[in-house]
Amino acid sequence: MRFSDMLKMSLSNLWKRKIRTFLTVLGVVIGVASIIVMVSLGIGLRTSTMEDLENYASLTQVQVNAPFDTDSSSKKATDYYLSDETVERLKGLEHVVGVSPKLEAQVVAKFGKYIANYSLQGLPPEAIEKLNIKIGEGELPKPGGELSFFYGKFSLQDYYDPRSGDMPFWEKGKTLDVDLMSKPVTVYLDGDSYTSAMYGDGGGEDGPVKMPKKYMIPTAGIEEGFNDSESDYTATAWGIYCDLEALKEALKKEYKNKVIPGQPTSKTGKPYKEIFYNTLLVDVDAMENVTSVQKAIQDLGYNAYSDAEWIAQEQNSMNMIQAVLGGIGAVSLLVAAIGIANTMMMSIYERTKEIGVMKVLGCDMRNIRTMFLMEAGYIGFFGGAVGMGFSYLLSAIINQLVMNSDSEFGGMTISIIPAWLAGLSLVFAVLIGMLAGFFPARRAMKLSALAAIKNE
Amino acid sequence: MAEKKSSIKTMKNVITVKDLYRFYQVGDTKVKALNGVSFTIRRGDFCSIVGTSGSGKSTLLNMLAGLEKPTKGQVVIAGNHIEGMKENELVRFRQKHIGFIFQSFNLLSTMDAVENVALPLTFQGVPEKERKKRAVRMLKLVGLEKHLDHRPTQMSGGQQQRVGIARALVVQPEIIFADEPTGNLDSNTSAEVMRLMQRIVKEHNQTMIMVTHDNYLAQFADRIFHIRDGKIQKIEEKKKELEE
Ligand SMILES: Nc1ncnc2c1ncn2[C@@H]1O[C@H](COP(=O)(O)OP(=O)(O)OP(=O)(O)O)[C@@H](O)[C@H]1O
Ligand SMILES: [Mg+2]
Repeated sequence: MRFSDMLKMSLSNLWKRKIRTFLTVLGVVIGVASIIVMVSLGIGLRTSTMEDLENYASLTQVQVNAPFDTDSSSKKATDYYLSDETVERLKGLEHVVGVSPKLEAQVVAKFGKYIANYSLQGLPPEAIEKLNIKIGEGELPKPGGELSFFYGKFSLQDYYDPRSGDMPFWEKGKTLDVDLMSKPVTVYLDGDSYTSAMYGDGGGEDGPVKMPKKYMIPTAGIEEGFNDSESDYTATAWGIYCDLEALKEALKKEYKNKVIPGQPTSKTGKPYKEIFYNTLLVDVDAMENVTSVQKAIQDLGYNAYSDAEWIAQEQNSMNMIQAVLGGIGAVSLLVAAIGIANTMMMSIYERTKEIGVMKVLGCDMRNIRTMFLMEAGYIGFFGGAVGMGFSYLLSAIINQLVMNSDSEFGGMTISIIPAWLAGLSLVFAVLIGMLAGFFPARRAMKLSALAAIKNE
Repeated sequence: MAEKKSSIKTMKNVITVKDLYRFYQVGDTKVKALNGVSFTIRRGDFCSIVGTSGSGKSTLLNMLAGLEKPTKGQVVIAGNHIEGMKENELVRFRQKHIGFIFQSFNLLSTMDAVENVALPLTFQGVPEKERKKRAVRMLKLVGLEKHLDHRPTQMSGGQQQRVGIARALVVQPEIIFADEPTGNLDSNTSAEVMRLMQRIVKEHNQTMIMVTHDNYLAQFADRIFHIRDGKIQKIEEKKKELEE
């Protein structure tokens, strides 16, 4: 028998029993739609969670610090200072695509009668680039040339009046009204000395602390949503950034032969020639390798930290949610499959005679089985196709509702149907249909032709 | 065997039955539906099997058509021992050599006359155009050219049985089996249908074996097998002249 004839014949058999076919297909529609929608919710949740995570943390980064040495005189400690040599050494590790040093300096900025304390972060240009800051105005700090700052969007919230101790932003929600872009900011690079000189108790052994030098630092740029407290949180929101080399130069000039605060000293209390870094940011080629790189660096004796574990946990719970959602959908598809099997069984009882006659007229047993499988497959296919369309509709409605709601998911696309999910569900529906039709089809094949024509 | 198969058309004895038995176990009693039957049927014979109800006519016919397995004995059709065939082989064998006419017509209710007649060709894998052509030709032969697109429910019993006959003949089988083909028809229509079958079968030199319990209708055949309690009582040869 020709394949096309079998397709036609099984289709017309379905068509003959329209209402029953319709109801069975409806079952599959509901099953497929619920599986797609459930899984789409899982995918949507995962996607938006991952996007969220990316805002908080760099998913492929390991932060390396020198080990805490309580005994700085120990011989070993010097080996673990983070130097350019260390940078090169970590670059040699497997799966590491880049290492950027970070140097921090405690600085004070002065805005009229207000001041603000900052931990200024000096980074090489490629590392600043990788922060993925959305620039509101200006540009990222350029390498070479004089020192310039880039301000995170909330960086101006922490200002206060040193005399009264007032914190206008935290107490009254008042933002500092200064135009960073047009006027340089007054900055004391030696923030510690400034504080001591202004409000200190008269200094230590060396007598009262001298007021450090004041610098006028131009602004390179500001982050998008600057000073807008409604704006979303970002990892860089409270940071102030500058070029690493420029910061190194400035610090060397500021401290001359003195010890830069935070830098290690030799046994005799003298500063080293080289400026050591506070942190090294190690970029890993892929998320799944972060843990192993972190481990390798820890084995070298450094402190290494990454968000991998936390993210893995987060992903684990996402997987759980997705499995549960998928399971709920699968149950309704299972019910639909039972519906298909039931319909096919009924159809066989009804058509016992017809099948017998077909056999007597020379219809190959395997063709009979194939036609029954096709019928079941058709039910799966139609149910799958309609269910697919239906689930796109449902998904759009859910997204619309959630988008406008003010729940914790508000503003999120919570249901995402990727093409593979839709395609896979359709294939799955056909397979389930054929699976459900398998035993009925075998039964039809084995029906005795004689019994069929005997009960005349 | 292969040689025998290829020489079907020229062979004289198209059916040979030897010591055929069929017993049914019903509770403690053994029903001897067929109790030792032997005969041969030649090519082109129109045979009828007559006997009272329960004498074993249908059992014999079903066994000849390979729809039922004998308890014991041999059935050789066109050189093939069909008592040992598997169901799949039987289906293919029937596809090639056998046409079947049912008492209750057994047309598929959703198909029109042409589609019903074309059904065995569909099973053989004949392309749609050709099977339609052959089905229409066959329907014309049985005088239903005006009912080509009628469904079974839109036809009389006699017309339906003509469709059934056309369906059995469309594959040009060597042998046609019919179990009470006129059992559901009134006597006038029955005679009409009998004449039709007789004519077509003769024209194509086909062998026909028909079961009936109506002695009058049996007279249309060349040979009449009288059967009783599972045994052949006598074989009535009606047209001796054909043999010589
Ligand atoms: N499947 C079966 N199980 C048990 N007994 C059977 C079976 N089929 C037939 N018989 C018995 O075999 C005998 C012959 O039956 P068969 O159907 O051949 O009769 P028949 O000559 O065709 O009768 P009718 O003219 O009424 O159709 C009967 O006694 C019947 O009861
Ligand atoms: Mg009978």
